[in-house]
Amino acid sequence: MTASTRSSARSTVPRSNRWRRRAAFAVVVLCAVALTIGYGISLAHRSSPVAAQAASPRPIDLTSLLRTPVVVFRSSERGPSYGEVSVAKLNDLTAPRVVTNLQCDRVDMVATVGLCLAASPGIYTSYKAFTFSADMQVRHGFNIVGIPSRARLSPDGRLAAVTTFVSGHSYASAGFSTATTLYDVSAGREIGNLESFTVTRDGKEIHPTDANFWGVTFDHDDDRLYATLSTGGQTYLVVGSIRTRTLRTLTTNVECPSLSPDGTRIAFKKRAQGSLVQWRLTVLDLATMRETPLAETRSVDDQAAWFDQNTVAYGLPRTSDQDSVINDVWGVAADGSGTPRVLVAQAWSPAFVQTGISG
Amino acid sequence: MYSTLRDGPPPRPSEAASDQSRPARRPAGLAVAPVVLMLGLTSMLTDLSTEMVTAVLPLYLVLSLGFSPLQVGVVNGLYQGVTALVRLAGGVASDRFGRHRDVAAAGYALSVLSRFALLVPGGSAAVVSGSIVTDRVGKGIRTAPRDALLSLAATENGLGVAFGVHRAMDTFGAMLGPVAAFAVLSTVPGSYRLVFAVSACAGVVGLAVLVFFVDRSPAPEPAGRPGPSAPTGTAAPADMPAQPTMKMSLRDMMLAVTDRRLRRILVAGCVLALATIGDAFIYLRMQRTLEITPTMFPLLAAGTSGMYLLTSVPLGRLADRIGRARVFLGGFGALLGVYVTLLSPLRGMTALLCCLGFLGLYYAATDGVLSALTSAALPAGARTTGLALVQTGVSLGQLAASAAFGALWTVAGVETALTAAAVLLAVALAIAWSALRRTM
Repeated sequence: MTASTRSSARSTVPRSNRWRRRAAFAVVVLCAVALTIGYGISLAHRSSPVAAQAASPRPIDLTSLLRTPVVVFRSSERGPSYGEVSVAKLNDLTAPRVVTNLQCDRVDMVATVGLCLAASPGIYTSYKAFTFSADMQVRHGFNIVGIPSRARLSPDGRLAAVTTFVSGHSYASAGFSTATTLYDVSAGREIGNLESFTVTRDGKEIHPTDANFWGVTFDHDDDRLYATLSTGGQTYLVVGSIRTRTLRTLTTNVECPSLSPDGTRIAFKKRAQGSLVQWRLTVLDLATMRETPLAETRSVDDQAAWFDQNTVAYGLPRTSDQDSVINDVWGVAADGSGTPRVLVAQAWSPAFVQTGISG
Repeated sequence: MYSTLRDGPPPRPSEAASDQSRPARRPAGLAVAPVVLMLGLTSMLTDLSTEMVTAVLPLYLVLSLGFSPLQVGVVNGLYQGVTALVRLAGGVASDRFGRHRDVAAAGYALSVLSRFALLVPGGSAAVVSGSIVTDRVGKGIRTAPRDALLSLAATENGLGVAFGVHRAMDTFGAMLGPVAAFAVLSTVPGSYRLVFAVSACAGVVGLAVLVFFVDRSPAPEPAGRPGPSAPTGTAAPADMPAQPTMKMSLRDMMLAVTDRRLRRILVAGCVLALATIGDAFIYLRMQRTLEITPTMFPLLAAGTSGMYLLTSVPLGRLADRIGRARVFLGGFGALLGVYVTLLSPLRGMTALLCCLGFLGLYYAATDGVLSALTSAALPAGARTTGLALVQTGVSLGQLAASAAFGALWTVAGVETALTAAAVLLAVALAIAWSALRRTM
């Protein structure tokens, strides 16, 4: 097309029409900007009255509380305590909880040590993992990459496992991949990424490039671990040894395993058939390899924690919450019987320490 | 001066004459039609909107909703087929009804709607997946008619510059997205919904630019191709409606998009796409051999985009001067440069800069230039259909290549896979060169 055509095409639009278009454009822009600002102000206001309510913590002595059986979790209560590690008495879960000053997205704790994963969003979003002592003081930091997803300590607190999500960027539509790294807590060093372990499936060594690992759970011997491996569109339960850096597949369709305190059963989320985003909480007996679906029928996307030998605990978002930022910790019988009930309200990522925390 | 590709088959002597007269009227320069700038602004705001969401969505899903993002990632592969279909349907519809602007607007509107979906209370995986799919479908619909509008607004030997300017503005918006998103998050901490609202706002403004400042139907082709040739250089009378000269019968459209010149471009584009391994693998390989920590991943993408932004316009201009096919093939030469760098013993900063530089050049020399090359080979009445056809072919080719490369990497190891990709690309370049030779 020539330049003259274009100018003639432009001149077909009458002058008054052009001004009308500009005026209409200005109206649309002003409306859009005004609505966005209004929405922003309403969002800022909605959280403040609740914040004022929550800001009246009753003084409870943390040290004496920690000596009793406790649950340590991430608070999902709206207000200043949101996202902070909190502690509640196991014998009286409705009693006021104590809020620490640790801001974590995922937390785990055993009798001697705690593990916290946190993100600080920004143009250059950074992530960190650190252990903390029984008096809730930061001890040792580890560099982590990606968005914190799962944190697990070994029963004696000597080992730690961290799963993060590493997201692609705008050009790579490959989706997400996970990174699962093991740490030696007592030595304060990294043991390695599970992707560097040797994997055998049905007795044959495999080297998949699309391998993703997540959701580690440790046995009592500080060597054996269980985790989920995903490759070729299939998820596997793998069992492995840290000493020999090996993993082998046990069964399929097991995600986020969690070993029972006695080491005989695994609670996990099982993907529902024909669905991409529905998981059924299930318990696997390691001796018989028999699976028992639990009485929780809602989809659970969490790594479960064992409340005691007979009860499995897990987080669920509160559906009535408009912003879906509030989660509750629920519990259900591990033998498939009973009905689910809320164990800890407005909480996420629970760790039940029946012995109390001693340091 | 080297003659560039001309519109429509077959070239007529009268057009050649008009070609010579054009440089005098519009000296080669950076001046582009206002429509190009308006379309650029729309794309800039839309990409800003998209990248704002892309930057925070993983954080929102994992930290706020407590999801495993894998459940969202799964749907990624599903929409590719849908996108290919709607892209072609949208292309035929805009050509048939001469409504490029409206079809493009429908595509942009779908993306804006997908942002509003994220504002619905009680976000679930289904809503988020639906939003992503809607956004991608919208992108599939709008790309070809928008490129057709761009090409119809540009002078024939300013096509490369017009696409270059558009892609530079587009990339600038994409780079600004994450900055804007985290600026919002630092103002009201934890408020991902406000990020989505601001993103929707940017999308609405982008759509408004398109609707209010871009004419509904593109201006008529001056030479009246492919019908009986009108005297060249004569402008269409101002009071004459645009459509009659633009519209073609379905049969003529089919003939135009199966014409030998378009077939050659399609073959070249698809063969080269089949040797393109995808950025994800390039970054993964860089990470493993250049010992780059994944924390640097965003910087890799920013480096590539920066190079793309800087070289998009100059390479578009170069394409107009020395021939679009040459620059297009040169772009894949740069991609070959990436493969060779990854296979070479080069390590550290030098290797990193080489890779990012080559990758940015590859984008700048191929993305807009391919659309310019394709546009020049199509009559105005079949332009969107032809563009949609080539873009669909290329994206399906890339998808297949990415899957095949991943499989080969698994089976034979990364060195073998990369070597195979490099050899394949060299062969593809030879095939593409012989296909496009006559147009150079």
